[in-house]
Amino acid sequence: MAGGKGSSLPGKVVLRLFPQALETWAQRLNSRIIVVTGTNGKTTTNNMLASIFSSLGYWVVTNWEGANLASGLTSAFLRSTSWKGDLSCDWALLEVDEAAFPKVIASLRPAVVVVTNFFRDQLDRYGELDRTVSLVKEALLKLPPTKLVLNADDPLVVKLADTSHPVIFYGIGVPVRAGKEEEPCREARFCPYCGRELQYQYYHYSQLGAYRCPGCGFARPTTQVEALAVKILDGHISCRVRVGDRVVDCELPTLGFYNVYNALAVFGVGMWLGLPTEVIARELGHYVPATGRLQRFVHRGRPVYLNLVKNPAGFNESLRLLSMSSETKDVFIALNDNEADGRDVSWIWDVDFENLLPQGSVLSFVCSGKRAADMALRLRYAGVPLRKIEVLPRLEDGVRAALAGQGKSVYFMATYTALWPVEKLLRRYGKEERDADRLPSLS
Amino acid sequence: MLTVCHLYPDLLNLYGDRGNVTVFLRRCQWRGIPVRLWEVRFGESVDFTKVDFLFLGGGSDREQQLVVTDLLPRLANLRQAIEEGLVVLAVCGGYQLLGHYYQTAQGEKLPGLGILDLYTEAGEGRLIGDIAVEVQMGGRSQILCGFENHSGRTYLGRVSPLGRVLRGFGNNGWDGTEGARYKNVFGTYLHGPLLPKNPAFADYLISLALGRRGLEIMLPPLPDVLERQAREVILRRLRLRGS
Repeated sequence: MAGGKGSSLPGKVVLRLFPQALETWAQRLNSRIIVVTGTNGKTTTNNMLASIFSSLGYWVVTNWEGANLASGLTSAFLRSTSWKGDLSCDWALLEVDEAAFPKVIASLRPAVVVVTNFFRDQLDRYGELDRTVSLVKEALLKLPPTKLVLNADDPLVVKLADTSHPVIFYGIGVPVRAGKEEEPCREARFCPYCGRELQYQYYHYSQLGAYRCPGCGFARPTTQVEALAVKILDGHISCRVRVGDRVVDCELPTLGFYNVYNALAVFGVGMWLGLPTEVIARELGHYVPATGRLQRFVHRGRPVYLNLVKNPAGFNESLRLLSMSSETKDVFIALNDNEADGRDVSWIWDVDFENLLPQGSVLSFVCSGKRAADMALRLRYAGVPLRKIEVLPRLEDGVRAALAGQGKSVYFMATYTALWPVEKLLRRYGKEERDADRLPSLS
Repeated sequence: MLTVCHLYPDLLNLYGDRGNVTVFLRRCQWRGIPVRLWEVRFGESVDFTKVDFLFLGGGSDREQQLVVTDLLPRLANLRQAIEEGLVVLAVCGGYQLLGHYYQTAQGEKLPGLGILDLYTEAGEGRLIGDIAVEVQMGGRSQILCGFENHSGRTYLGRVSPLGRVLRGFGNNGWDGTEGARYKNVFGTYLHGPLLPKNPAFADYLISLALGRRGLEIMLPPLPDVLERQAREVILRRLRLRGS
């Protein structure tokens, strides 16, 4: 795997010497384990859970660094273990890679499993995405009754509901963004049961929305946790959420619409465990994003955002953020093709730059990373004039050029292995903004 | 007016191959050549003799089979257009389904359209990585670069290969051939997508399409600075001189 903070090395060593490590720790925790899996949103959901559990006074183990394979999980436990092998924590909150899920889930025996969504990751074949969903489902079938928290808006996730586990569904029950735009990378146009094309009343992005199959009647299920109203405001998102029969308002200090889903998943976990809804709403208002999850910096008084991009669905959402303010901006995109990024960069041609780039307000595009020129080429064919495009493969050159832009803000997007180097550079040149308190946290 | 037909964009949509269509359209538009895009979905009718450039991308086995069932009743029309010089680019799964059949790992033979004299067998392990191929275009030798990712091994009958593998695997990993060409039909395993990093090949396809309509013109050159840079990255990595 690539370098960076998500270290899995100690875990690899332990797993080699003591293959039952995960199982032993899990037994000591006596199922006080929550697992979050899916393609996008794992890290954010898990971090949100961690801040809520901490504020409630629990000691938690998390793999917040995004090290989400077996070795990373083991490393996370190791950090909370004394030299005698005692585990000093109340709960383990673990994000698990959707492909690794079938391998580790039996050892973990979690109390709650959250599944966020299934998207094509980089270039996986659709057939492989289908297979990932089936493998997750098979793994769930082998578990004793486990509480599930599932995204009702994703037909691929809803397939997991017929595993006879008890389920809390969450979803966004109102159209938020106008228009039924056609996206080039919808993963699940067809009914997972009978193959007919799904009909949508509205959709939020990719295949997430209110769908119904005209053939067999498969449809978005009734939710227990639902966003009743979502307002995307300047710098934050305000939403009204129904949790069971209660309604609560919360403010998310983020620009990313997709974080509404992550927050709803957290309410779903809270509902299963009986956590106080007001505490969850309040803590979500203070939520601090993890590395590259719309992290905020300030450079010479200008806001600077950093976002990880790793697949077409997520990249499209990152591009939508650019349109949220009409002010001028500069854009930096780092595209690497190391193993952890995906060796093939063709997936950028499935990103909908044509429709989602607000070309008028972007003053310059800096392309960086090992495949900077490929990124630049993609922008050129999306209609960006050559004079607005700069190719600077060295990350340091690229970051400096983007920060020297004339826009009122700067947006950085980076693939996995470029993320930590870019974050380091942004810390060097700017200051990270962590004062989520500048917003009224609870309305 | 050139008509570009993207066949089954909803079924054959892997690996960003739609980029080939974007590039064909843009390079026409930048030169003031009128061009329109026609996206033909499953079950929709189409007259291939009215098309100037037909693009077929890759899909999973299941989706390829749907495509074959949908195309078989219209095979005569497609063949006629091809004999008249229709320019076709078929990538990966789209390439395989132009052959006689695809034999799955379980030994099942899924029929293809039989337009190209070739067949494909599922092999052990996927052939993945950067690839460079030497091709002849209008009497000149050129290097195409791209990325391949396929488990099928394709064997050619009486049909010419598109080119000779310089680096990578190509059709089957051992006979040194990559892709196939019959008249103006080009089949290949190159993703990347193919046309953005191979502008000379994109222009060659445009010239062939114009030529079929009786327009023998020299295409004005475009400032392919980024195209060259993106090619260089791959060619250097493969230890090949840029072309």
